[in-house]
Amino acid sequence: MKVTLTSVYSPYCFPTLLKSSSLSTLCRPFCSSALPSPPTCVKPQVPIFLRPPIYSNKLCDLNKWHDWAKGVAFSIGSTFVHSDNGPDSSILCRELKWLMEDAVEVPSLDDERVRMRIDIEELYCLWKQRVHERRPFQYVVGCEHWRDLVLSVQEGVLIPRPETELVVDFVSDVVSENEELKRGVWADLGTGSGALAISIGGVLGSGGGRVIATDLSPVAVAVAAYNVHRYCLQDKIELREGSWFEPLKDMEGKLAGLVSNPPYIPSKDISGLQAEVGRHEPRLALDGGIDGLHALLHLCDGAALLLKPGGFFAFETNGEQQCKALIDYMENNRRGSFCNLEIRADFARIQRFVIGFRQ
Amino acid sequence: MSCFVRTKRLSLFLVKLVGKSSLSPHILCSSSWFCCPRKTAPYCVPSSALLQIRFWAAASTSDGLTLQAILANNWSILDENDGDWKSHASAIARSIHLIKRRLQWDKLKPRLDMLSFQLNKADFWDDPMRAAKLSREHGSLLGKMKLVNALEQDLLDHIDLIKLARQDNDAHLESESLKALVNMRKNAKEKELEALLAGDQDSCSCYIEIQAGAGGTESMDWAAMVMQMYMSWAQRRRYKVTVVDEMPGEIAGIKRATIKVDGEFAFGYAKAEIGVHRLVRISPFDSNKRRHTSFAAVAVIPILGDGSTHVQINESDLRIERFRAGGAGGQHVNTTESAVRIVHIPTGVTATCQNERSQHQNKASAMAVLQSRLDQLELARQAQLNAQHTKSLTDITWGSQIRSYVLHPYRMVKDLRTNYEVSDPDSVLEGDLDGFILSYLSASLDKDDDA
Ligand SMILES: C[S@@+](CC[C@H](N)C(=O)[O-])C[C@H]1O[C@@H](n2cnc3c(N)ncnc32)[C@H](O)[C@@H]1O
Repeated sequence: MKVTLTSVYSPYCFPTLLKSSSLSTLCRPFCSSALPSPPTCVKPQVPIFLRPPIYSNKLCDLNKWHDWAKGVAFSIGSTFVHSDNGPDSSILCRELKWLMEDAVEVPSLDDERVRMRIDIEELYCLWKQRVHERRPFQYVVGCEHWRDLVLSVQEGVLIPRPETELVVDFVSDVVSENEELKRGVWADLGTGSGALAISIGGVLGSGGGRVIATDLSPVAVAVAAYNVHRYCLQDKIELREGSWFEPLKDMEGKLAGLVSNPPYIPSKDISGLQAEVGRHEPRLALDGGIDGLHALLHLCDGAALLLKPGGFFAFETNGEQQCKALIDYMENNRRGSFCNLEIRADFARIQRFVIGFRQ
Repeated sequence: MSCFVRTKRLSLFLVKLVGKSSLSPHILCSSSWFCCPRKTAPYCVPSSALLQIRFWAAASTSDGLTLQAILANNWSILDENDGDWKSHASAIARSIHLIKRRLQWDKLKPRLDMLSFQLNKADFWDDPMRAAKLSREHGSLLGKMKLVNALEQDLLDHIDLIKLARQDNDAHLESESLKALVNMRKNAKEKELEALLAGDQDSCSCYIEIQAGAGGTESMDWAAMVMQMYMSWAQRRRYKVTVVDEMPGEIAGIKRATIKVDGEFAFGYAKAEIGVHRLVRISPFDSNKRRHTSFAAVAVIPILGDGSTHVQINESDLRIERFRAGGAGGQHVNTTESAVRIVHIPTGVTATCQNERSQHQNKASAMAVLQSRLDQLELARQAQLNAQHTKSLTDITWGSQIRSYVLHPYRMVKDLRTNYEVSDPDSVLEGDLDGFILSYLSASLDKDDDA
C-alpha cells in the first residue's frame, strides 16, 4: 500500500515529476500497521498551565488533596523501580510539586481561596491515573519542559527525551561556523511534538534558514503545529504529513541539514518497557523493527539522496551497537556519500548519536 | 523640615557669609552643583572638585566646633527619646567616626587621588576593561566620600541652627532643629550598618551551600533546619530565594543543598554565616530520647555581577553527567528526573542542579553555580586571600565552629566568635539572624581596623 498525503500543512508540497527510482522505495512506509486514517482534523489539547484559572477552591481542600496525593506517592516506595525501573516516591513527590505549579494560580485569591486551572475533582482523577495507571506525568499535565521550551504533548505523541536535547547543540555548533548551512533548509523527520524542529528554527535565527518537519502520525503533526504556533515560528517551520522522505520529494539534493530521532527500539524489547512508555506512548514512535535499525538505515539512504554536498546530519540511536552498525553501513553500503562520521555520547556516557556530513 | 526652618536656614547661611568674611569651602558643598555667588554670571563647579578642596579643610560650625572636638568632648549619649542636643550630636559623631573607620578613611584620599590621576591620563581608555573598572571605583569612592561629608556637614549645620535659635530665643526653631537632629541620628545609625558592607563583593547576590556533618539522619535533619533558617532569613530581607540543588537524606532532612539568594548585599550579610553550625537537642529520631549533637557546614559564594572578573570556561574542560540508574536511556525511559552534574576537569570543581524541569535548564543552573565557584577560586588566587569568606564547603573543617544552637537542657543560641547570644532558638531558626550577622560584621571590621 502506498500513502500519498498532501497535508493541509504543506503548501509547498506540489507533486514532483520523479525520475529517481530510489525515491519510490524511500517513500514506502515500513510500518504498515500504523497507517493513519485519512487526515482527520485532530484537535490538540491545551496543557494545564495554559488554561485560564477559572476554578476557585478552598485552600484547605487543596491541602487535603495534596496530603492525599503525597500519601499515594509514598505508598509506592520503590515498587516501580523494582518492577520496571519506573519512578520512586521521591520522583513522584517532585512531580506532585510541579503538578501544583501548573494547576494553581499564584498569588492566591486571599488567605482561604485559590484560583486554579483545573478543578480539584479532576486533580484526584489525574493523580490516580499517574500513579495507578502509570500514565506519564507529561501527559497528565499536557506538557514537557525540554531545553528552554515548554512543549505541549498528549497521548499519541512521543514525550521528547532529555538525551535528544543534545542534537540541537550539534546543529548549533555546525551552523555557528557555517553561514551557508545556517541559511539553508533543514529537515526534522519524525518530528513528534516538534521539539527538534522548533529548537533548530530558533538556532537558525532570522537569516532565512528554515525547517521542514514531517511525521506520519496526524496527531503528532497537529500537536507539532500547535507548538510551532505557540513559539510563533509558523513562517520558519513547515509541517508535512507523510512517511519519512515521501513528503520531501521536492528537496532532493537541496537540504542543508537533516536530523531525526526515529523509532529505534528492537521490536522484541517493546514488551519489557517501563509502563509509562510501553503502555502509554505510541508504538509508532518507538518500534524500530527486528533490530531497531529499520528506520535508521532508511534515513541513511535518504540522507545520501536529499542532502546537498557539505550538508550535515545527526541521528539518535539506541546505543553503541546501533551507532557502529550505522557507521558501518554508511562506510560500506553508501561508500563515498558521507564524510567526517562521528559517534557522540549522551550525558549518561552512552554512545547515542551518529553525526556527519554529505561528501 | 518646615518652610519656616528652611528660611531660617537660609538666614543662617547669610549670617555665615556676611558675618565671617572668609568663605569657608565646606559651606559650598551641601548640593552637588554649586553656583558661586561671587561671580557675576552663575558659574558652576562640579562638586567633586570642591569636595577635594574640602577634604583637607576640616568642617566646623560658625563658632569653630568640629567633629573631632565633639568626639573629644565625650558628651554622654542618652536614649534617643530623651537627652539634649549634645547627646544626639555625640551619637551622630560616633556613627560618622565609625563609618569613616570602616571606609578606611585615611586611605580613601590617596586612593582617590591616584584614581583621578589615572582617569585624566590621555591613554586611560586604551584598555576599556580596566578603565571601566577604575572609573567605577572612582565613582563609588567619591560617592562614599560625599555621603560622609554631607553627614558631617548636616550635623554641624544642625548645631548651628540650634545655637542660633537659642540666641534668638526662638523655641519653635529650637524644637524643630532638635527633631531634625534626632532623625539624623537614626539615619546615621543606618548608614553605620551599611558601611559594614563596603567590601568589593558585598553587594552581590550569592549562593548558600549547606552540608550535613557526620551522624546520619540526625545531622541531615539539622542541615534541613539550617537551610530553612536561611530561606526564611532571606525572605524576611525580601530577597528572592531559589533552591538550586537539594540532595535529600534517606530518612529525613538533606545531605546537602544549594540555595540562591538574589538581592543587594545578600553576600555581604550571608558571608557572616560561613562555618560550622552545631545543634544540641533531644533527638526526635532516638526512641530513647537521648541528647544528640549534630553539625552542619555552611559556605557562601558571591555571584559576581560584572563580566570583567568572570573566569573563561572552556567547553572542552567540562564533563557533564546525568545522574540516573543505568539502563538503556533514550526512548526506553520516561523520567522526570533530569539532574545534571558538571565537572570542571582542570580544577575538579563540580556543580549540580536537579530542580529545574528540563535537563537543559538544570545544566544552565549548574553552569551558573560552577561559574561562581571558579570565579571565587580565581579571586582567592589573585588576591591570595585567606579570609574566611572565600572558603568553599570542602575547605571548611569541622573544627571551625561558629555558632551553637542548644535546645536542651537549656535554650540558647550563641555565636562563638562574638559571644553574641539569644535565649530564643525558635526565632533564630525562623530566620531572625540579623543580630548575629551585624554583630559579627562589626566585630570583624573593627578587628581588621585595629590590626
Ligand atoms: C522517537 S519519536 C521522535 C519524536 C521527536 N522527534 C522527538 O525527538 O521527541 C519518532 C517519531 O517518528 C514518527 N514516525 C514513525 N514512523 C514514521 C514514518 N514512517 N514516517 C515519518 N515519521 C514516522 C513517529 O510518529 C514519532 O513521532
